[in-house]
Amino acid sequence: MIAVAAGPNRIDPYVIPALDGVAYGLLVFVAAAGLVFCFGVANILNLAHGMLYAIGGYTAAAVLDGSWASLALALGVGVLAAAAAGVLLAGLLTPVATGNHLTQALLTFGVALAGGSLLVAGFGPDDPQVLVPAALDGSVQVAGHRYAAYRLVFIVVATALAAGLYLTVRRTRAGMLVRAAVDDPEMVACLGVSPTRIRVGVLAAGGALAGAAGVLGAPIIGPGADTADTVLLLSLVVVVLGGLGSMVGTLLAALAIGEIQTLGVALLPSAAPFLLFAAMAAVLAVRARGLALRWAAT
Amino acid sequence: MSLTTPARSRALAAGLLALVLTASTACAADEPGTTGGGSIKIGLLASLSGTYQSVGKEIRDGFELYLDTHDGKLGGRQVDLVVADEGNGAATAVPAATKLLKQDRVAALTGIVGGGSVAGVYPLLQETKVPLVGSNGRPEIKDVSRVWHTSYLSDEPGAAIAQHVRDNVKGSVYAIGPDYQGGWDELRGFTEAFAKAGGTLANPDGKTTFTPFPATTNFTPYFARIKASGAQAVYTFYAGSAAVDFVKQYAQSEIKDIPLYAAGFLTEGGVLNAQGEAARDIFSVLNYSPDLDNAENRGFVAAWKAKHDGSPTTYALASYDAAAVLDRAIGAAGDDPTPEAINAQIGKLGQIASPRGAWQFSTVTHSPVQKWYLRQVRQDGRALSNTVVGDLATIGR
Repeated sequence: MIAVAAGPNRIDPYVIPALDGVAYGLLVFVAAAGLVFCFGVANILNLAHGMLYAIGGYTAAAVLDGSWASLALALGVGVLAAAAAGVLLAGLLTPVATGNHLTQALLTFGVALAGGSLLVAGFGPDDPQVLVPAALDGSVQVAGHRYAAYRLVFIVVATALAAGLYLTVRRTRAGMLVRAAVDDPEMVACLGVSPTRIRVGVLAAGGALAGAAGVLGAPIIGPGADTADTVLLLSLVVVVLGGLGSMVGTLLAALAIGEIQTLGVALLPSAAPFLLFAAMAAVLAVRARGLALRWAAT
Repeated sequence: MSLTTPARSRALAAGLLALVLTASTACAADEPGTTGGGSIKIGLLASLSGTYQSVGKEIRDGFELYLDTHDGKLGGRQVDLVVADEGNGAATAVPAATKLLKQDRVAALTGIVGGGSVAGVYPLLQETKVPLVGSNGRPEIKDVSRVWHTSYLSDEPGAAIAQHVRDNVKGSVYAIGPDYQGGWDELRGFTEAFAKAGGTLANPDGKTTFTPFPATTNFTPYFARIKASGAQAVYTFYAGSAAVDFVKQYAQSEIKDIPLYAAGFLTEGGVLNAQGEAARDIFSVLNYSPDLDNAENRGFVAAWKAKHDGSPTTYALASYDAAAVLDRAIGAAGDDPTPEAINAQIGKLGQIASPRGAWQFSTVTHSPVQKWYLRQVRQDGRALSNTVVGDLATIGR
C-alpha cells in the first residue's frame, strides 16, 4: 500500500516542471524557427536573429495595455517591425555570397550589437512592464497545481503556429520555391523567380516569425538588455541539437531544451549550470558526423 | 604585413607621444584636487552604460541632486565634478578611474556600482592616496584606511531581517538566490543569522539553493521544489532582470500564497515598475524607503521628484549621502583640503544626518552603522511602492 501511495507523490512535484517544459520548449521553437529557416532552408546565417526577437518584445511592452485589442495590435506591429528589420538585413547581405557563413556571421553580429544598443537607448536600460489581458494574467488549476494561465494558452497558440509553419514550407508554392532555390538557384531563376527576391522573402519571413515570438513570448522571456543574447544562444543550441534537416528535428530539439531547462533542473538542481551544454556536447559527440554531412551538402 | 612602420606614421606617432607627454606634465603642475579660486575637483565613477546603467544613473543623479540643492558647493568650495563611465566592471572601471585619479587629479573619488570595480580600483587609491567614498558595491577589503562606503555590506540585509522572519513565520523557510558573490553574501547573511535565531531552512539539504546566474530565466522548476519542501515562507535576493522574472513567475506559480521575504533590491527602483501587480505584498528589508517620515527625507524626496519621475532609490540616497559626507569633511579640512586631509576628516565625522535617519561610519569596516527597515509593496496613489511597515535591527560592526 505504501509503495502504491508513494508512486504519485514521487511524480507529483514534477508535473508542473514537465508541463512548463512544453511551454518553454514551444517558445524556444517559435523563437528559433526563423533562424533555422533562414540557415537551413536558405543557407543564410543570421546572428541578428535575437535582436529581431527583442524588437517584438519591446513592441509588446510598448503597445500592450492589458486589452485584447492591444494584444492584436502588438502582434501586428511587432511582426511588421521585425519583418522590416529582416528586409533591411537582406539588403545589407546582398553583396555577400550565399553560403559565405563567416562574412554573414560578422555582418549580422555587428548589426545585432548596434541594433541592441539602439533598442536599449530607445526603450531605456530597465526591463519594461509587459501587460497582458487580465484573463491571461492569473493562474489556473492543472492536476491539483497552480500554473500560469498565459503559458497554458501559449502552448495552444505556439502549436498552431508550428503547424502553420510546417504546412507553409511543405505545401505552399512559396515554400516549394524557397526549397528549390537552395537546391538549384539557376533553375529557379529560369522559372522567372529572382533569387534576390527569395532571399529578401526568407529574411522577412524569419523576421516576422521572430517578431511574433517576441510579442507572444514577452511575458515568458521578456524584453531587456540581455534578451537578444539569450534568444540567439538558445536558437543556436536548437541548431546544434536538432540539425538543419527537418522541422520535426527543430521541434524536438526545442522541446528537449525546454524540458532540460525545467524538468531537468527540477530533478538535478545541482547540475543546473551545465545541463543544457552537457546535452549539447553529448549530441555533438554522437551526431557530429550527421551534421557535418548535412552542412557539406548545402 | 611588414614589420617596420613607414616613416611618416612613425613621425606622426612620435608627434602624438610628445603631445601626450606635454599634456600630462601640464596636468602634473596642478595642485591635486584644487583648481584654484577655492574650488575642488571630485571624481564620480558609475556605470553609465552596460548592464548596471540604471543603478549608475541613480548614483550620478543622487550626487548631482545634493550639489544642486547646496549651490554646487561642498565644504564651501565650488565643486568641479568629473563624471566617468565605469561600464560593466573592472576592465572598464580601472582605466576610467586612472584618468580621474592621475590626469584629473581629483581630491576624492565617489560612486562605483560594482564590487569587482571597487576591487580593481583599490590599488590605484593606495598609490595615489585619494579617498574613495563609495556609494554602492563593497567587496572584501583588507585595509580600509582610504575606503569608505555610504551603502551597506552585502550580508547585512539578510542579517537584519532574520529575527523578524523567525518571529513571524511558523515553520521552515526556503532560501534561494543567484549563484555569484553578491548572492552568496546576501543569502549567507540571512541563513547565518536565521540559524542563530533558532530557525530551520526548508531546503532539502539544509543549504541555500543557488540558481545559475545570469542564465536562469525560468524559475518554475525551483518553485516546484519549494512547494514540495513544505516551506512556510521564502527568503531571496535577486536584482535586475532576474528580480523581474522571479517575482512575475512567483505570482503565477503554485507557491504564490507562500509569503515572500527578500533583500530590498528585489523590488527596488525600475524593477518594481516591470513587476507591476506581481510584486504586491512582498516583504523586503532595506536601509531606506522614500516614505520615511523625517525632515531630511521629506526635503530629499521633494527635491528628487521635482527633477525625476518616480521616487528616489537606496542607490540615489547612498550617493546623496556620499556628497553629504564629502561636504562636511571638506569643510572641516580647512584651507588646504588635500586628499589626505579629507580622508582624515571623514574619520572624525561622527553622526551623519540623512534621509534614511542618522547613521555613522563603523570604525572597523568604514561602512554605515545604520537602521534597517521592513517594507511591503503596497498601493501608493496610482502606483505600487515600497512602504515602511516597521523597524528592524540596527546593524554595523
